[in-house]
Amino acid sequence: MSGKEITLIIDGREVNASEGEMLHDAAKRGDVEIPVFCYEPKLGEPVGACRMCLVEIEGIPKLQTSCSTPVRDGMVVHTRTDQVKHAQSAVVEFLLINHPLDCPVCDKGGECPLQDISMGWGPGKSRMTDDKRHFEKPIELSPLVAIDRERCILCYRCVRFSQEVAEDEQLQLLERGDRTFVGTFDDRPYVAPFHGNITDLCPVGALTSYTYRFRARPWDIEQAGSVCTLCPSQCNVSFTVRDEQVKRVVARDNPDVDDGWLCDRGRYGFEMFGAEERIRAPRLRGGAEATWDEAIAKAAEALRAASVDHTGVGTNLAAASGNGGAAIVGDASNEEGYLIQRIMREAVGSPNIDSRPSRGPSREALVRLAQPEITARVRDIDDADAILVVGTDPLHASPILDLRIRKAIRRNGAKLAVATEGPTTLDGGATAATRYAPGNAGPFLAELAAALEADGPISQGDLDVSARRPQEVAGALRGAGSIVVVWGDRIGREGDGAVTALLDVTAALDLAGKNGSGLLEVPELTNARGLREAGCLPDAGPGLTRAPFGSHTSPNGASNGKATEEIRVALESGELKTILLFGVDPLRDFPDTQAWRNALAKADHVVCFSMFENATTAMADVVFPLETHAEKDGTVTHPDGRLQRVRPSASRPGDIRPNWGVLAELSLALGHDTGVDSQPSAFAALAEAVPFYAGITDADIGGRGIRWQDVGPEKATGTGSPDTQPEAPTPPAEN
Amino acid sequence: MPETRMLLKNAEDPALRTLAGYKGYGGYATLEKAYRELEADEVLQELEDSGLRGRGGAGFSMGKKASFLPRGGSVDKYLCCNADESEPGAFKDRELMQRNPHQLIEGIAIAALAAGIGHAFVFIRGEYDSQADVLDAAVAEAYEAGYLGTDILGTRRNLELVVHRGAGAYICGEETALLDALEGKRGNPRLKPPFPAVQGLYGGPTLINNVETLSNVPHIVAHGAEWFKGFGTEQSPGTKVVSVSGCVQRPGNYEVELGIPTRELIYGLAGGPAEGREVKAFYPGGSSSPVLTAEEGLDLPYSFEAMAEAGSMLGSGSVIVADDSVSIPHMALRTARFYHHESCGKCTPCREGTNWTVKMLERVVRGEATPMDLDIVASVQENIIGHCLCVLGDSMAMPVGAMVRKFRPEFERVIAEAGHAEAVAA
Amino acid sequence: MAELPVDQALTEGRVPDRAPERVPELHEVDCPDELRKRIEELMSRYPDRKSASIPALWAVQRLYGWCTPEGIRQAAAVMRVTPAYLESVASFYDLLHTDPVGTHKVAVCTNISCWMRGGDELLEAFRAAAGEDPDFFVTGFECLGACDIAPMASIDERYFGPLEAAEAGTAIEQLRAGAEVLPEKALEKRPLPGGPDA
Ligand SMILES: Cc1cc2nc3c(=O)[nH]c(=O)nc-3n(C[C@H](O)[C@H](O)[C@H](O)COP(=O)(O)O)c2cc1C
Ligand code: SF4
Ligand code: FES
Repeated sequence: MSGKEITLIIDGREVNASEGEMLHDAAKRGDVEIPVFCYEPKLGEPVGACRMCLVEIEGIPKLQTSCSTPVRDGMVVHTRTDQVKHAQSAVVEFLLINHPLDCPVCDKGGECPLQDISMGWGPGKSRMTDDKRHFEKPIELSPLVAIDRERCILCYRCVRFSQEVAEDEQLQLLERGDRTFVGTFDDRPYVAPFHGNITDLCPVGALTSYTYRFRARPWDIEQAGSVCTLCPSQCNVSFTVRDEQVKRVVARDNPDVDDGWLCDRGRYGFEMFGAEERIRAPRLRGGAEATWDEAIAKAAEALRAASVDHTGVGTNLAAASGNGGAAIVGDASNEEGYLIQRIMREAVGSPNIDSRPSRGPSREALVRLAQPEITARVRDIDDADAILVVGTDPLHASPILDLRIRKAIRRNGAKLAVATEGPTTLDGGATAATRYAPGNAGPFLAELAAALEADGPISQGDLDVSARRPQEVAGALRGAGSIVVVWGDRIGREGDGAVTALLDVTAALDLAGKNGSGLLEVPELTNARGLREAGCLPDAGPGLTRAPFGSHTSPNGASNGKATEEIRVALESGELKTILLFGVDPLRDFPDTQAWRNALAKADHVVCFSMFENATTAMADVVFPLETHAEKDGTVTHPDGRLQRVRPSASRPGDIRPNWGVLAELSLALGHDTGVDSQPSAFAALAEAVPFYAGITDADIGGRGIRWQDVGPEKATGTGSPDTQPEAPTPPAEN
Repeated sequence: MPETRMLLKNAEDPALRTLAGYKGYGGYATLEKAYRELEADEVLQELEDSGLRGRGGAGFSMGKKASFLPRGGSVDKYLCCNADESEPGAFKDRELMQRNPHQLIEGIAIAALAAGIGHAFVFIRGEYDSQADVLDAAVAEAYEAGYLGTDILGTRRNLELVVHRGAGAYICGEETALLDALEGKRGNPRLKPPFPAVQGLYGGPTLINNVETLSNVPHIVAHGAEWFKGFGTEQSPGTKVVSVSGCVQRPGNYEVELGIPTRELIYGLAGGPAEGREVKAFYPGGSSSPVLTAEEGLDLPYSFEAMAEAGSMLGSGSVIVADDSVSIPHMALRTARFYHHESCGKCTPCREGTNWTVKMLERVVRGEATPMDLDIVASVQENIIGHCLCVLGDSMAMPVGAMVRKFRPEFERVIAEAGHAEAVAA
Repeated sequence: MAELPVDQALTEGRVPDRAPERVPELHEVDCPDELRKRIEELMSRYPDRKSASIPALWAVQRLYGWCTPEGIRQAAAVMRVTPAYLESVASFYDLLHTDPVGTHKVAVCTNISCWMRGGDELLEAFRAAAGEDPDFFVTGFECLGACDIAPMASIDERYFGPLEAAEAGTAIEQLRAGAEVLPEKALEKRPLPGGPDA
């Protein structure tokens, strides 16, 4: 809340607050706890339904709900007078008269606000002797969530989420008065991408996840914070761990990343961690088990074969032409990406490394895109006047952004423009929703830039349909104070022309000149930005610097390596012999599956790191087990530049070893000591290599992450001189 | 003291409900004068000076409420005529709409002019189907005659009027629940502030007034505030259409000057209880007003201030009379059942307090209760009052609490007798 | 794209038996033309189309006798809202029925003033007269705003009273025969108690 600072008195103590802030929040900051049930700031406007938060305000005869009463300067508030205690005790007694009190068999027991508040503010006993309201229970609200309507205290949180946050409007209140219950139309299942959040929201045991029912009691578990790496949203999660196994995933509110929500994949996908199909130990072709030493030796042999000099003479790594090998990185942390590109460039001597499904913009284009002044933060969406979504459907590519954009429209009246190849779920709320032919983002953006440059809107009449579309989008964006452009990195596949058009739009909208504005990339890969900045690109080393090709230049003089698509072609033609696939399944995720099948068949050596057996691992010579984000120890970088910490929360099943360690050993086996013997040392090496990560420590990243763009000069003790901004990626022209 | 008919003047004439009939008695002359000759502020001032108080229950000065709406400006403002009339004992709005719909339409049009409103709605309860038909016909006539629509009487002032039928929920009489219902939602009350005058229907400033309140407007603007203050009392000017029902020989609507002695209303006009019966108690302001015993209330003037002083309220002006044949505990149960059925269920004290009170009173009348249960009933009413989101909870707690307090012996006797009968029967 | 392992884990053995209910398209529900036109006309009366929810539900009930799930889906398709939204609105209000009800609706007031003058007995009389006939929906009701003609009943949305218990049977028979119901007890015929202007 950015209002004017004011002071008020709560229970005799002075508390500072900003105007417009709710009394309950101001009290909380003043260490005065006021019990609530229906109040949940994440859901927007308070409803004042449960009446638990009643307090006395001098000058007002009736008690007021502190959740919905904004603070005023000089307000005098009492939260512990008899009148208030009487009201709180009355509300708790009312809540319990129809409550089943089946705590012994209720999963919420031990972490239940109703229990806590009944003990803390309740009357201690109930005078109710009549029979209670009954419902059939529990009922399957959805295949993943059970509902027990007897426990429900009708606090409206779950239906408000369905109607005003996820806007699927499937969960509703039915009937009236004390016959009211939570349900869906015609008892249909509640199936929506974010529906699991209602189990977090419910302050009682009315909504429980089938994946966690009767699995643990609060005193059996620990909570471990980490980051979900199942998609580029990189939501902050908290794992509920029992006996070193993840039993549940709950949100770990980070307003800068996920606003306290999770999508259902992030919440319920954890069951794959313990699936038997998981690869639990290294193995060789055909499924033969292998010890770690054997497997690493086999992998080293494969990579060493790639670095044999074409003339077949000697195996001196340094002299080897080394372009016989390639690596493609996918589901990997920054440290893993950094180590892989060092293995390829320094140990194997090959420049062929990429982290994109097929191809992407050049290094120069990426440097221009990475300039901090045109990069938007996730939080900027909240206050944006206009939002352009181009080339991506956030609901599928980065679900949490879908919620964020809906919130901006609903609560801030932001105007949304959508320009994509196909329809998106945001079209309904958009001021202008338009389509362009697949693969034609570039031309559309160029027309949009032109339309924006033209000072006034050209009268729509004399434009044919296709030309009119950019006009509509321009109309929605023109004149907006702050603008966030959410763009899908699939646009980059069309090459630098498309990126230039995107930057023209950025200039036409003057995003650099407006605060709270900029570009926000929605990549297909979770850690696309992290791997890019760690150097997993054919034409760029760590920090988007010119590709450091060790001490060699490849035969054709160019120091740049091959992009994923070129690697595939080179494998098919036999030019490349060895391929390292880390956390990617080309046969499932990349275009041209048949071509990839031929390439992998043609390759002499295929080394894979994968969580599960799949079509690609079936064609691999050696397969290493990959850690999940509950086991991995490392950092990832959010598309808006925020470094976040993935912390090991559960034990690694079977004989899985930390992947950064395996890569360090592999490098050693290739005769190249990276000096990395721990995750901190791996991160230190990365921060050393990436100028704009310089000086960032594990403590800086902490639980909420830190955007390298926000790191002040005093932190930049790395290569840049202390008084300059961390050496942001300088435009290509200069070096 | 006989009736003083102003709103119900000529109400016997069936032709009154037609435009021609209404104009025959001078109808719409005030609207024409106001739209053609008067400024909005002049009309508003007249209404404020008249001291007209809301007839829907709250008794708030209509003029003052209208003045809270921001003047001028481009934002859309709305007027909602509250015709939900679902308070037990109230049927005056029904009579007014059924017999003289044009008086209400003229009142709405003039009030809209005063507050600069372009959109008006009549939210009429769904059960009043025939009255809504009468209103629809009258509105159509008014549009045809140019008293509604765009450029009314060539004065470039516009007013759209829509008759919106509710679907059976007493809570929708509460002004903010009415707005939610009118926006097509479940009829749940909203948090106040913001008050409707500042942020109401579709988020715009909204004036909400009762049918009878608005029906007074043409008379005030026609004859002036001073003339209007000539009726009733200093604090309760004007006349009041009082719905008298229950144990009276001539139940019905009587238009009287406020301040008339209550005894004159119940015995004089409504004929008092049946032969050989005496008044035991009565609700002065519909079911939500604390009952007054005969001794407490019969000799008080029937006015807002007198009823308030006696610890009750005039409310919507509906008198329900219970004679000595009526069992107060059963009446309390019947009252509680109404509020339990009608509670919207949004806030805890009302949702749970009403169903708990009904369960306890049912045990009381079945004799399966003890005097201590009466203390719990009384305490539960205390736990409701002042703690709810809207005053529906209070509307049960006040009358039920008053009945248990004022007729405690009768409750204990019912427990004993029913308990004894129970024992004998078992 | 083929299923990711996380999606397999999420959906294995958890496929819902019925589809969730989103905003239906018009072609998915065969909404009668007259209902669609009626709802569109209703929506045009309000600055915000959602205000037409209750009038639209009234239209569905008048067409199908009650707010059938299919009728609700048709109205939802026209109004571009989810059927869940309309069902939650319909279930809130007493006059909108989300379960099958007879074509003739008899609501007998059992509130305070009517209770004092024999409302409960009148209700029993109507129930006895209607018996199990599915064509009749007899129910007690809260104050109908006609306490002056207590004890009273609203029969097919017209008020009649004061009624003797015996007249309940007569009214049911008249309804069965399609004849005019209790003409002399219709509210519209009742004069003002205070008589014509003094
Ligand atoms: C539970 C409840 C029910 C109400 N019902 C009605 C009603 O049926 N008709 C009415 O005019 N006002 C009713 N009111 C009062 C309205 O909230 C509002 O104050 C009134 O309509 C304003 O009009 P007035 O100022 O002309 O009285 C009710 C209030 C509450 C709390
Ligand atoms: S199910 Fe839970 S969240 Fe939803 S209304 Fe009931 S108590 Fe509140
Ligand atoms: S928390 Fe304030 S009313 Fe529920």
